[in-house]
Amino acid sequence: MELRFFEIYRNGDYLWLLAEGAGLSALLAVGGGLVGFLLAALLAACRFGKLPVLQHFAAGYVEFIRNTPLIVQLFFVAFGLPLLLGYRWPFWAHGLLALTLNFSAYFAEILRAGFANVPIGQIEAATALGIRRSLVFRKIIFPQAVAAMYPSLNSQFIFLFLTTGILAEIGVTDLTSAGLFIDSRTFRSFEVFITLTGLYILMALSFKAALNALNHRLFRWQTAK
Amino acid sequence: MKELLITLLGKPFGIVIFQLLEATQFTIYLSLIAFAGGGLIGLTITLIRITPSRRNKAIASSYIWFFQSVPLLMLLFLLGLGVPRLLGLDINPWIAAGVALTLYASAYLSDVWRGAVEAVPAGQWEGGKALGLGFLQIVSLVIVPQAFRISLAPTVGFMVQIIKGSSLAYIIGFHDLMTVGKRWANAPVNGTEPFIVFPIMALIYFCLCFPLSVWSRRLERKLGGISERKPPEAA
Repeated sequence: MELRFFEIYRNGDYLWLLAEGAGLSALLAVGGGLVGFLLAALLAACRFGKLPVLQHFAAGYVEFIRNTPLIVQLFFVAFGLPLLLGYRWPFWAHGLLALTLNFSAYFAEILRAGFANVPIGQIEAATALGIRRSLVFRKIIFPQAVAAMYPSLNSQFIFLFLTTGILAEIGVTDLTSAGLFIDSRTFRSFEVFITLTGLYILMALSFKAALNALNHRLFRWQTAK
Repeated sequence: MKELLITLLGKPFGIVIFQLLEATQFTIYLSLIAFAGGGLIGLTITLIRITPSRRNKAIASSYIWFFQSVPLLMLLFLLGLGVPRLLGLDINPWIAAGVALTLYASAYLSDVWRGAVEAVPAGQWEGGKALGLGFLQIVSLVIVPQAFRISLAPTVGFMVQIIKGSSLAYIIGFHDLMTVGKRWANAPVNGTEPFIVFPIMALIYFCLCFPLSVWSRRLERKLGGISERKPPEAA
């Protein structure tokens, strides 16, 4: 039993590989988070809307995603869909699509709780003023729900980020796949995965700090009250 | 069972379904191990966390923070590949996966239970103290019966996340629903293409998880939740 971290850290190629992998992991998580959030807003709008078909579809989608593992969704998106529909994408695009679909359901569930908590008086006042239903949603309900749910959305995003290592399984060259490559070369598995763990925690903390900083910028109107 | 499925669905579909369902039992066993082990350790950590000692609180909080911050995938790799290579011994996938998921579950469960204990009004502690009860007496006679009700809904809800988390164990050679499903999806057999097998697997996972989700929501409506802000869910 002997820890030999230097075998990883003294090799410039390995360090570069880890940096590249971390970059791609962060990029895919942010991309999935942003597009997923937009999709979540759409899903929440469907649930808030008047069409029963859309309401049921959105609710069913959210339930299905939240009650199945990401890895199965990922394999379906990466191996099933392309075969079924006959298209070819790079690995990272499959990964991004799977993350987007996955993240959106978790965000939508949080947003739904946020909508439920927007004071009904706000909606009634807007309706009384003759503002269109879609505009009420976009300008009055949505911003308040997001502001109220921002902390929950943040921690949800960070938890979801920690699950993205699974993308290595479909060939995405993310942080985990960089680690697996170094592991296959050095056989220092323990050191490699401790390093990866540290990097993942570090990235999660950076995301947290960035999102907190964004909080002050985005919702200044709310803290003013 | 196998013959019945084959006569009903034909070959190879009946065989695929049978093997998937057969492998599902290992997913269930692993989830139960993680839940029991995680519950036991989680209970201990919760107890340490709510003692008056500041040092104990810090230790328990660090434990919770650490195992909530480490990705489950990394825990599995560390225990399934890292530790065996470091110590130069073979670790059975059952043990590696069981320990990894137990640690993962213990951090979440103790966090949930800590929230439930804190939701019990402070007056209950003070009342117990005024009656001359000791720490363990207050906890077991006054706090736990009340916290138990509050924690029931999120605890059941967390079982969903354990089941979903167990799907990662195939990565260190644990034989479960994922392993069998992946093997069929890769097999050059007509009728077991990835777009058929993976939705079936998703459906099996859904059948395991969805009832628990519904049950958790019912409990929450009946007994109330811990707070408006729920802990985040893992995929």
